[in-house]
Amino acid sequence: MVAQRTSQATPLIEVSHLRKSFGSQVIFDDLNLDVYEGEVLGIVGKSGGGKSVLLRCLTGLEQIAGGDINFFGENIAKMSKKQHRHLEARSGILFQDGALFSALTVLQNIQVPMREHISLPKNIMDELAYLKLSLVGLPSNAAHKLPSELSGGMRKRAGLARALALDPKIVFLDEPTAGLDPIGAHDFDMLINDLQRTLGLTVFMVTHDLDSIFAICDRVAVLADCHIVRTGTPTQLQNDPGHPWIKAYFCGARARAAQQYEE
Amino acid sequence: MAVADRSGAGMFQKVGHNAVTPSLKLNKGNDQHSIAVLGTWQVRYVRKLAKEIRKVRLPDPKKSSPVLEIDMANLAALDTAGAMLILDMKALFSSRGFTVKIINEREADRILFELISRHPRGNIADQKKSSMVLNLVRDVGALFVNMLRDIVELTSLIGQVTVSIVGLIFRPWRIKITPLIHHVEHAGLKAVAIIALICFLIGAVIMQQSVEQLRAYSAEYFSIDMLGILALREVGVLLTSIMIAGRSGAAFTAEIGSMKMREEIDAMRTLGIDPVETLIVPRVMALIIAVPLLTFIGDMMCLAGGALVSYQMLDMDFQSFLERLKDGVDIRHFYVGLIKTPFVAVIIGLVGTLEGMRVEGSAESLGHHVRASVVKAIFLVIIIDGMFAMALTAMGI
Repeated sequence: MVAQRTSQATPLIEVSHLRKSFGSQVIFDDLNLDVYEGEVLGIVGKSGGGKSVLLRCLTGLEQIAGGDINFFGENIAKMSKKQHRHLEARSGILFQDGALFSALTVLQNIQVPMREHISLPKNIMDELAYLKLSLVGLPSNAAHKLPSELSGGMRKRAGLARALALDPKIVFLDEPTAGLDPIGAHDFDMLINDLQRTLGLTVFMVTHDLDSIFAICDRVAVLADCHIVRTGTPTQLQNDPGHPWIKAYFCGARARAAQQYEE
Repeated sequence: MAVADRSGAGMFQKVGHNAVTPSLKLNKGNDQHSIAVLGTWQVRYVRKLAKEIRKVRLPDPKKSSPVLEIDMANLAALDTAGAMLILDMKALFSSRGFTVKIINEREADRILFELISRHPRGNIADQKKSSMVLNLVRDVGALFVNMLRDIVELTSLIGQVTVSIVGLIFRPWRIKITPLIHHVEHAGLKAVAIIALICFLIGAVIMQQSVEQLRAYSAEYFSIDMLGILALREVGVLLTSIMIAGRSGAAFTAEIGSMKMREEIDAMRTLGIDPVETLIVPRVMALIIAVPLLTFIGDMMCLAGGALVSYQMLDMDFQSFLERLKDGVDIRHFYVGLIKTPFVAVIIGLVGTLEGMRVEGSAESLGHHVRASVVKAIFLVIIIDGMFAMALTAMGI
């Protein structure tokens, strides 16, 4: 199913020859990656190998040193301000700890993108925010709480609700299941899966979590040695690793356990 | 997957360009009415669409046909907000007595409708607003309770710090020299330039004004006496302590507050480290060392500012300025100024660290406590200064 989907689909994001370094430390060198519409793409790689930096480059939070990043065939470096705003409204980001605005309630947090990008009547905005809150599985009494009053898992859900506020085409998730207990992590995986299927989202997910990869990722891209060394379905990579790091990652005891669980 | 299938238009569609502006088309019939939904029903157009839905007028269902169809055949794109609006429209007309049917929806839309109807979206009644009078009474009460709490907690902290310091006198090897020196450097050494500058300027201004005013009585030379007493007794110590309250008091609150936010202080407690001894005592001790020294510098710069102005306005060289100062101003004024400095240092240090310990989870709370720390520290410094002024004058010093 995946192969069929990716062969037909147009790339939503094309990254070509990306270069990035911090001082003398090279992070990416000639990195190429395509993200297709409607897929769940997992990015794996060593800790400190630049996974999160890649996400930050794609979302425009980091300057890149060279190469091109195209969204829908448009180079983000050459976009007008208006196009940038449009792009921001069509993509949602979930940061590692939710990155909710601590002075606002959960409901107000979800409404921030709505206020910023479009004008909506108050009652519809409330209705929509309650809907998103419920979609991500938060009880409605969480709406008037401050982020500091929520647990880590709830903060992530609230962050996802904010990312989904404007029905983005693509959501970027930075380690969505890190710091959740296995049950919470599984629930969160299923939530992403459900939302992706029903809302037709494209999901770009940085993760460490083998369970998530086998549970929801259509494709996995492996970041090692400053570029994407391989992409493929989790099973493909496991059967034919082709790189020592991938072998260590996908053929370790934890990977086998994760895959058995899925089967 | 589903929704994306239909939205053929790309990401950068604009109204009137290649996207289809969404709208409603009402067809009134004899046996049934229909509303055709057209174009892209997306969150951006919700305001316009909601208005159009409100404008739809249908005849009374009891008199004409009670059947209403919502026709989705010519819909270009739908997202959750658009789908929600269609469901709201359905509910609205159902409540008016129509039998509403959605027709020609695609598989993807059905999934979306199902998803949305599974989840509650009704407004839960927001907390009731209480009356203004009640709010006022509550706020006044809270103010007094907070003041009481401040007094109690500050007193208790003074006790804890004293116990800690006395303990350190008997076990001097436990004094944390490195943080102490670090804080003396940051609160003291790095504040020298700014305190010297403002004291110099204020000294000059005081001198200039008093010469100007006293000249009318030909008593302009007494302005040197006045400057000397004013600078040594009050201005030097006040300016210094206000500056330190704003600079170091706020920094203490922010440092300890952000440690509190990241549970570092809880971690210290579990490791058996006493936060009072590790965080508060070095800061308070650093201020006890730094504030008298800074006050001395402030005093001298104040006099220097006065000397410059008297050279300009009274044609007095530095030598004669100093002689005049020595004749007119007793040394006790200098001591009176300095005796106050350890007290204001303790107050600034305690208020700053106490407010830091009170910070809770959010960034807003941090800002609130930093502000409170500066305001309370300056207020208390002025109160202490006033008490000293009254007591010492009464004693004739």
